Amino acid sequence: MSKPVKRIIEYSFLTLLASIFIFPMIWMIASSMKPEGDIYVDMGTIQSFFPSINPSEWFQTYQALFERFDVLKYVFNSVMYAVIVTAGSIVVNAMAGYAFAKFNFTGKKFLFGLLLSLLIVPMETLIITQFTVAHELGILNTRMAVVLPMLANMLFIYLFRNFFKAVPDEIIESVQLDGANYWTIFWKIILPMSKPAIATVGTLSFIASWNDYLWPLMVLTDTEKFPLQVAITNINSTPPVYTNQVMAILTLSTIPLIIVYIVAQKYLLQGLGGSGTGIK
Amino acid sequence: MKKLNSSMNLPAYLFLSPALVLMGLFLIIPALMAIYYAFTDYYLLTPDNKQFVGLDNFIEIFKDPIFLQSLKNIVLFVVCVIPIQIGAALGLALLINKNRRGNIFFKIAYFAPVVLSLVVISVLWLYLLNPSEGLINVLLEKVGIEAQPFLSSPKQALYTIVFVSAWQGAGYQMLIFLAGLQNIPSSVYEASKIDGANKWQNFIHITLPLLRPTTLLIMITTFIAAFKLIIQPMVMTQGGPMNSTMTPVYYIYQSGFSDRLIGYSSAMTVVFGIVIGLVTIVQNKLSKGDDGS
Repeated sequence: MSKPVKRIIEYSFLTLLASIFIFPMIWMIASSMKPEGDIYVDMGTIQSFFPSINPSEWFQTYQALFERFDVLKYVFNSVMYAVIVTAGSIVVNAMAGYAFAKFNFTGKKFLFGLLLSLLIVPMETLIITQFTVAHELGILNTRMAVVLPMLANMLFIYLFRNFFKAVPDEIIESVQLDGANYWTIFWKIILPMSKPAIATVGTLSFIASWNDYLWPLMVLTDTEKFPLQVAITNINSTPPVYTNQVMAILTLSTIPLIIVYIVAQKYLLQGLGGSGTGIK
Repeated sequence: MKKLNSSMNLPAYLFLSPALVLMGLFLIIPALMAIYYAFTDYYLLTPDNKQFVGLDNFIEIFKDPIFLQSLKNIVLFVVCVIPIQIGAALGLALLINKNRRGNIFFKIAYFAPVVLSLVVISVLWLYLLNPSEGLINVLLEKVGIEAQPFLSSPKQALYTIVFVSAWQGAGYQMLIFLAGLQNIPSSVYEASKIDGANKWQNFIHITLPLLRPTTLLIMITTFIAAFKLIIQPMVMTQGGPMNSTMTPVYYIYQSGFSDRLIGYSSAMTVVFGIVIGLVTIVQNKLSKGDDGS
């Protein structure tokens, strides 16, 4: 086979594969930017992958969606949960990682081993008794209930601990002689030196919180407090259901994640297996 | 410094306390509660009436056709999704591990579904796979293949969820494989070229063995995640048709949350939790033994 022919075959194959992976997303965005009727008229033609020919119709679906549902509120809720989980998870897990990396204390080995062994406990199977605990604490249907269980994470503690171990003891001792206490050392010396670890834990926590569905669905009853993921299934089951509006909320809920994946791409592989998404 | 060490207990535990309290509340206590409730007939609406019932729940769940079906389903799901998803990820990584014009476009395209949440892919494919007016069937009919029932058929629903799950996750693992591939020094391939090895021999005798640690890591994480399948069936099929997509975690949720049978649900949590725990331990042992050789 001649070289150019081989090349054409190679590129066609790569393009065919690429279309399998991206056509659903393109159809989703295109369908959100046209009137409901057009989706079904266009179905199966090349036009089903393009927004309405008339640009003035592109954002009408979004307008209608915002009028029917308090979408801004859902976006605000999701952003708020994700930001609190991200900040909280960095602080809580870094503090624990610091204790395991730089302190000698009674029961350290035992505790570390115990927490590591807890990694094999499948959290998802415990949802019912986690719910009972939330009930006992009296935090059902509060924003607190959405956030609290997502903060402490042994994988992240482990990641921070390994990172902090690399910080030379001499640096810590020298500031200790200047009279700084552990709390100041943690905030002023340790954390600023750990930007890569913070970025990794922060990115993975943000994505996990943004995509969280089952737990907020269980603990929240007020639609007011719903994050986007729960709002999606709510909108998809509130009659009348319009395909273009459902595609619009799917698109809206994905945009922030696209930004996060672009900005933080180099930190994604470092927390292998720690991410909250299904089968990754 | 010795002196300081002896006074480190208090500050150490203060630094640990937020993580310990949260893990205690949402991991350790729930695990202990599940073990305790599993031996009672705890019904959510009559919390003061719970009685110790011994092994009754454990005997009942193994007579429960839905629980047994869910175990069968999840084994089938795992057995199908692991080779398909990991095979696809490795194939894609090999395809784009090359310097060529426009490679970055293909890489982004294969990775694109990873950015979508499980809820988003589930709702999106629900529309795409609609038996009468969904895009997939309209396209199939155009090329002369008759419309398929997909999610509304007890025979096809689980395999459809296998496909959608693999489609979403493969791109992420492709990146991990790609990192593994790029760690293989090119000198190894040059040496085998001198020995006259062809591409296929290179792949079998060099690439695959050197990728072993990467493959094992991916297998372990995928295995465990796949066992806990719930969102896709919950959103796409509600476990149906005829419980063909019911999974253990989904059934634990249904009987504990919807039917409020906490004791019964807890017994399933204990049994299924032990199964996943054992699988994890065995896999960790296997991969550790592998590192040494």
